[in-house]
Amino acid sequence: MSMTNILQLLVSGFAMGAIYTLTAKGLFITHLATGKLNFGQGDFLMVGAFLMMGLLLSGLSPLLAVVAVLAAMALLGYLLERVAVRPLERSGDQTGGYAWVLTTAAIALILQNVVELIWGKSAQYSPPLFSSKRDSVIEVFGIGIFAEEAAIIALALVIVVAFYFFLFKTRWGKAVYAVAFNREAAALFGINVRGTIVLVFVVSALLAGVSGTLVGPLVSVNPYMGLVFTIKALAVASIGGFDNPLGILAGGLLFGIAEAFSNYWDSSFGDLYPLLAVLVLLAVKPAGLFGARAADVR
Amino acid sequence: MRRLAKYLMLAAVIAVLPKLAPNAYYIHVGQVFAYTAIAVIGLNILLGLSGQMSMGQSGFYALGAYGSAILATTYQWPLFPAMLAGLAIAALSGVLVGLIALRTRGLYLAMATLAFGFVVEILAQRWVSLTGGTMGLMSVPQIDYGSFKMGPTYFFWTAAGLLLLVQIGSDYVFGSALGRRLRAIKESEAFAATTGLNVPMWRIVVFAASAMLAGLSGILFAHMDGYISSDAFNIRLTISLLIATVIGGLGFSYGPLLGTAILLGVAEILASLPDVGQIIYGGILLFVLLLFPEGAIGLVRRILRSKPATKKSAVPKALYVSPEKPPPATLSIEGLTKTYAGVTALKDVSLSIKPGTVHALIGPNGAGKSTFINVVAGLYRADAGRIVLDGKDITTTAAHSRARMGIVRTFQNLQLIDGVDVLSNVMLGLSPRQGPLRDFGEWLAGTKHEAAERARAHSLLDSLGLAHLADRHPRNLSYGHRKLVELARAMAQAPAVLLLDEPVAGLTPEEAREIADVVGLLRGSGVAVLLVEHNMDFVMNISDTVTVLDFGHLIAAGEPSAVQGNPLVRQVYLGTGELAS
Amino acid sequence: MRTGFLAGVIVGLSIGSAQAEDAVKVGVVQSLNGPPAITDFGDSYLQGIKLALKDYQASGAKTKIELVVYDDEANPQRAVSVVQRLIQNDQSPVVIGTVASGNTLAFAPILQKAEIPLVAGPSIATNITAQFIDQKPSYIFRCSMVEKFQIDAILDWAAKTFEKVGLIHSTTGYGMASKTEIENGMKARGKALVGIEAVAPGVNDLTPQVIKMRDAGAELLLDFHESFELVYRPMARLNYHPRVAGNWGLSSLKVADIVGRDAIEGTVMGQALDLGSPRTKQFDERMRKEYGSEYRWPVVAALGYDAGQIVFKAVDKVGKSDPKAIRDAIESIDGVSAISATPARPFSPTDHECLDKQDVFLGVWKSGDVIRMN
Repeated sequence: MSMTNILQLLVSGFAMGAIYTLTAKGLFITHLATGKLNFGQGDFLMVGAFLMMGLLLSGLSPLLAVVAVLAAMALLGYLLERVAVRPLERSGDQTGGYAWVLTTAAIALILQNVVELIWGKSAQYSPPLFSSKRDSVIEVFGIGIFAEEAAIIALALVIVVAFYFFLFKTRWGKAVYAVAFNREAAALFGINVRGTIVLVFVVSALLAGVSGTLVGPLVSVNPYMGLVFTIKALAVASIGGFDNPLGILAGGLLFGIAEAFSNYWDSSFGDLYPLLAVLVLLAVKPAGLFGARAADVR
Repeated sequence: MRRLAKYLMLAAVIAVLPKLAPNAYYIHVGQVFAYTAIAVIGLNILLGLSGQMSMGQSGFYALGAYGSAILATTYQWPLFPAMLAGLAIAALSGVLVGLIALRTRGLYLAMATLAFGFVVEILAQRWVSLTGGTMGLMSVPQIDYGSFKMGPTYFFWTAAGLLLLVQIGSDYVFGSALGRRLRAIKESEAFAATTGLNVPMWRIVVFAASAMLAGLSGILFAHMDGYISSDAFNIRLTISLLIATVIGGLGFSYGPLLGTAILLGVAEILASLPDVGQIIYGGILLFVLLLFPEGAIGLVRRILRSKPATKKSAVPKALYVSPEKPPPATLSIEGLTKTYAGVTALKDVSLSIKPGTVHALIGPNGAGKSTFINVVAGLYRADAGRIVLDGKDITTTAAHSRARMGIVRTFQNLQLIDGVDVLSNVMLGLSPRQGPLRDFGEWLAGTKHEAAERARAHSLLDSLGLAHLADRHPRNLSYGHRKLVELARAMAQAPAVLLLDEPVAGLTPEEAREIADVVGLLRGSGVAVLLVEHNMDFVMNISDTVTVLDFGHLIAAGEPSAVQGNPLVRQVYLGTGELAS
Repeated sequence: MRTGFLAGVIVGLSIGSAQAEDAVKVGVVQSLNGPPAITDFGDSYLQGIKLALKDYQASGAKTKIELVVYDDEANPQRAVSVVQRLIQNDQSPVVIGTVASGNTLAFAPILQKAEIPLVAGPSIATNITAQFIDQKPSYIFRCSMVEKFQIDAILDWAAKTFEKVGLIHSTTGYGMASKTEIENGMKARGKALVGIEAVAPGVNDLTPQVIKMRDAGAELLLDFHESFELVYRPMARLNYHPRVAGNWGLSSLKVADIVGRDAIEGTVMGQALDLGSPRTKQFDERMRKEYGSEYRWPVVAALGYDAGQIVFKAVDKVGKSDPKAIRDAIESIDGVSAISATPARPFSPTDHECLDKQDVFLGVWKSGDVIRMN
């Protein structure tokens, strides 16, 4: 296999991997703080993509469109926490320990249907962000990179670094860890527990939204696209370890590359090998490559 | 005889239902309900009772369905053996996935099982020569007993009959020691091991059972219409089963029936509303779960709350004959060393506890006392040294086996099981007195089931003054009461060696005196007691020997008064300087 | 005179009201919820059926017809359930549907056994009708493209026009079946494919597969993946622009939208609707008026319309809910003025296909329209 091909596959693999990383980061941060995550994370990505497409097609400039989409996603994240997560807490951990899985999934179903009603069920044309032509391709060393691919890889790296900084160097980040460890104690320390929880869900929605704005020209945009992304984000978070922000980056890029090469070598089972690898990995390293294994002994 | 009567009545209802159906379509719906509910019951036990999250039920369903269908169609096996083979395949795959589940937990397990489900789906779709792929397998033998007209009714009776048997099984699990033990495993594996449960074995068995039920469901599905295609075995199936389980009522034995009814009912209503069907579906899910996070069963219970609780408030009078009580035994620990991550928690510690004595282990915080108990109980593996019980070397024996030999412990952070009431917590300490078949028979027969166990647990609670709290849940008790319940449970285990980890921490002097009395009684009956405590009055009054640890090293051992006067001990506890006696 | 007139009015009214009470329930099963690759088919076919019903009602025909539409969610178990519901609960004497051939194959035997006619569509698997045609009588008809016919047409043209032909197909039943047909077809024409690549569901980026096609030097790329537009995407970045040909999905307006006019220019597909003809143009405009931007697939909608026409005409001829009679009426129907290439007398006891080999031709995208290729 030629060097050019390897590089080309790496690029497209990294790009998809970056999307998975960003989506999975959203799962990571809410799971860290609350033990719950949004089972409709992929559908949030879908909503972001549709909103972006709609705004661009109506003539808005890409920059303004991104801002508008992020604002909308922040609102959605807040609503998700308010409607699907918070009300479940009043009855305590015992009952409905998994009810949040279904309430977040229910929100996803509703969003899907709403998008279908507005834009129809078909796959849609999503205009590129960085040029007025159809495809904005950058040629480097004989391989073609879509401008959006380059943007999303860069963005993923920036966001991972920002996350790391946020979590370990700022007050809000430490508040997240405090709330994760012991809510009552955190409250007694003067941390705004409710605010922190809302924050993580908003951040999670923003991450999905950011991926959504860039993903349109790269994949098939349709109301049904969310579930696949949710599952891959879960896979990535599992590979990297649900508790490790850098691990998720590694997991995402690995998964993306695995997909690309797997499809190259044996396209008829291209989706099997990455999943099999995840299964084997979890059997061998139960908390992902970098996750911390909690001992269940007092 | 009430239970048996109830089930016979349900059987009669099943027999009569097809006659009441307005047309054959309702029988069809009944068929789908019957086999779907079977899979949901399996998931309910797996997730609700043993706390293992599986998002791969569609995989087991598919393996059962294809196993049976391929054998019956391509290889022309007779139907019944093919079905059994399908069940076996599903069960075997359940064991294999269960092995993975031993090591992974929570969302990681969810992902692993999800991956498993996808792998099965992909193989089903692409291995066309075996499975027919999406175009499917035709002419699969149907369960219609050869009759075209009555076929659907016969299928319904078969499926519903199997459902009834499975539901009886589920009721038994929920209502017996099995359910209790599974809840214990779900909430605290460490605790469960110290009551004699081989936790990995239990987890795998439950996984395999749930896989088998999903497989049975798939088998019935495969032989219903004479056609199966890989399109039916995808993640949406898993999600539907999960929805049915959670929305019905996770962890309640009748949740699955309710959940399946809701799932199918909603599907039927939405069949004619394709445009906004999902909004309505999502809306219903949200509505039910926000109102009743424990599931729709919450609504049923609210309605039934008008009836007085038929709880067992009367103290049953039955004699509990305890199984072979382990004979008094000496526990010797020789040269025990334990290190973690560079920190030496214990270094070459030796002591010996004779039956009928109380041996106290004291030392400042961080001395390694709790680690010591964990190693002796078998929850941690020692790096060096020997543990000998009555001449037998048990250094590498598993925790649950040690518990069965009579080594019993309490926990410093109480490990009471919130999912069951106080009485059941104590009953968790009792070992099974009879085989499962007899127990099932007793359960079926009625209310005398576990009467002896309940009596014994009740009397233990009574001896600690807690009889009035038997029906409460541990989280509603005061700290002091919870400690006493933990002690009651330890007593229920009929210990030969009792390891008490800070039994009076946080108790009032009055309560501490009660515990001292109980410990005295236990000593009197020949139990070898190891006591870890900070309360010096308590320790000095009740102990026969005292060992002092400091940073994992044994610094003093001997009679209480000797140890108290030891200057090294004083220095370690109080720093340099004289202790005013 | 006046009494006679009055009597006639009373009799006429009573007959009319008696008929108004029992409308014949024509059952429709389509996939209306699910991935766009499937719902595009289902929605479009149903749009055609509904327009046909509108026209039927406007024509003043005597028999009252009511559509009972169920969504099978692209799931064969659900498809069987709703068909059972149509047969037992709704008492439908005739059924039209569905998209996935697997689903249709799941319930066709049930309908055959229950002696209720089925007009299958838009499913295209060849053996849907072939399986039952020898039964006396067969209740299974089909009004849709037949996969074998369009593959034959494409391969006939490909084999004589190109040296190197490659295939990208999906791993669904449809994709796998097409692959087998194409491989056999090429062999029968003395050629071989230079490359065959599969695409698993959920795979969004076809760069690996298209790289393989480029490296194999394929001049013609056969696109047999339900999300047709995915194949085109990597071409821009790989600077590789082969000719593309595939099944009728490539005539969808949505696909053209996404891929872009320039990229889709010259793409060839199996067709059964000549947008050049005035009849078709008129149909096209009516659909656009009726459904706006929801109308996206002319050929599928046209076949749905024709299926609807045929069924309603047959039901009207019989006048009541009699499945056996309706089957006979469908089989012997004549004088159908179809929008698609369906002939006036589509069926016979040995032919239950709306479209026969000679009715399928090749279409090509030229300047934003699909026209007949010569």
